[in-house]
Amino acid sequence: MTFTAWLKTITFYDIFVGMKVTMKHMVHYRPVTLQYPHEKRTLPDNYRGMLALLRYDDGTEKCVGCDLCEAACPSRVIRVVSAEVPGEPTKRYSKEYYMDMTRCLFCGLCVDACPVDALGMTREFEWSVYDKRQLHLNKEQLLAIGDRSFPVREKQLELQHPNVAFFNVAFKHLPQKPG
Amino acid sequence: MTELSLRLAVSFAQILAEMSIVMITVATLTYFERKVLGWMQDRMGPMEVGPYGLLQPVADGIKLFFKEDIVPAGANKAMFALAPMLTMVVSMIGFAVIPFGPNITLDIFGMTIKPFVVADINIGILYILAIASIGAYGIILGGWASNSKYSLLGGLRAAAQVISYELNVGLAIVGVLMLAGTMSMVEITEAQAGGFWHWFIWGGRPDGFFPIHTQIFAFVVFVISAVAETNRIPFDLPEAESELVAGFFTEYSGMRFAFFVSAEYANMMLVSCVASALFLGGWNAPYPGTIFEYVGLEQLAWIEHIVWFAAKVYFFLFMFIWIRATLPRLRYDQLMRFGWKVMLPIALANIIVTSFTLYFFPR
Repeated sequence: MTFTAWLKTITFYDIFVGMKVTMKHMVHYRPVTLQYPHEKRTLPDNYRGMLALLRYDDGTEKCVGCDLCEAACPSRVIRVVSAEVPGEPTKRYSKEYYMDMTRCLFCGLCVDACPVDALGMTREFEWSVYDKRQLHLNKEQLLAIGDRSFPVREKQLELQHPNVAFFNVAFKHLPQKPG
Repeated sequence: MTELSLRLAVSFAQILAEMSIVMITVATLTYFERKVLGWMQDRMGPMEVGPYGLLQPVADGIKLFFKEDIVPAGANKAMFALAPMLTMVVSMIGFAVIPFGPNITLDIFGMTIKPFVVADINIGILYILAIASIGAYGIILGGWASNSKYSLLGGLRAAAQVISYELNVGLAIVGVLMLAGTMSMVEITEAQAGGFWHWFIWGGRPDGFFPIHTQIFAFVVFVISAVAETNRIPFDLPEAESELVAGFFTEYSGMRFAFFVSAEYANMMLVSCVASALFLGGWNAPYPGTIFEYVGLEQLAWIEHIVWFAAKVYFFLFMFIWIRATLPRLRYDQLMRFGWKVMLPIALANIIVTSFTLYFFPR
């Protein structure tokens, strides 16, 4: 033990260095806290919040009942009951659509899997409830979330052929609308 | 008969005033600690209840008062109920001999009373040491009676720790007692009047300039041992929350829990009062006399004395919190080694050196 180390030990030098640090933090008081309910942090652009079902501009649902989201979901949140659109045998839609949000891990794979962009992730995150049954959402609730979170997207006119399911992904070789 | 009842009434009034001062300070201290701790850790501390969280102690008090009082199955009910009361009472009655202000006397109803000290007994410091030792019983009983392994371990740790550090407290003040030549807290404080160079941390009135009777080593030993004795971080092994849930008061809830916590804060206050009375001159200003006397307001000098006493006590309390914000907890063997192999020899050597200097350079 050198003389300096001995001197530092008997004068509690290291403790005073540490106490200087805490005192510095108190004097230069810059809290990192946000007073959450009163002030909220800015969310990042690609924030993945609550899931929602989307509609076209004219109010029709985008979902075509293809079940791909159910297949893609790793934690089996989604359950789709697909059915024909009444009177239009070539078109299908989701007759029932359930999401058990208690299991959702917000990975966004269902949104990626959806061929018609019928699913979206909103920026909502304040979904704590007292009864977890309230997190078992049906189609109407999911559509309501989509309605309040997303400005409605315009229907692409070239995709309104009666024989085409609305795959509005960027396929340019689809049949044009007659007339 | 009337004189006796009058004396009793005056004593009760003094006790009531002293207790309410202590309780208000305890409530303030809970807020102060959380706030300062928050500031030092880049947080805000309590902010929700009232402006800047100022009503947080009130809200805490109401919450704890209305909480369910749980007695765990298999607990020794009598001891379980006794322990918090014992701790609380003991931490309160220690203040009886603390002089909060100057040693003036008032004549009321033909009696002579001292308004700033409840009981000026001639063995004041011994009384405080004795009372503080009883406080350990509350902790040990609470730990044992809870019928919980965490509580028991916390109580056992408290027993060993409080006993070994109380020894250092007792030995550290011997030098001061030798310098003052008395055990009365009032007389010890009065012996340090007349400027900060007369405080016992510098050794009172030295012959010549050099502070040969300096008690600074005793002061350091006393403060460190006081932190350990009040079970504060970094010596908070009895309630080590990362090892023992909450230590000896794991099983306590509601008002009993509040008793333990406020007893801890009251003990902090008590050791701060003792440290400032013994080493930093108590209610004496760091300059001779008082400013009020210089401007011709002798009647109001006691205000200045009380302000100085409060300032010293709050300096120590702030230091307690500051240390808590800075240091991690010691390991048990480090705690014991530090107490017995470092603090104890320093305290003993201080006694010997002080007695030699007092023999060759009497005050």
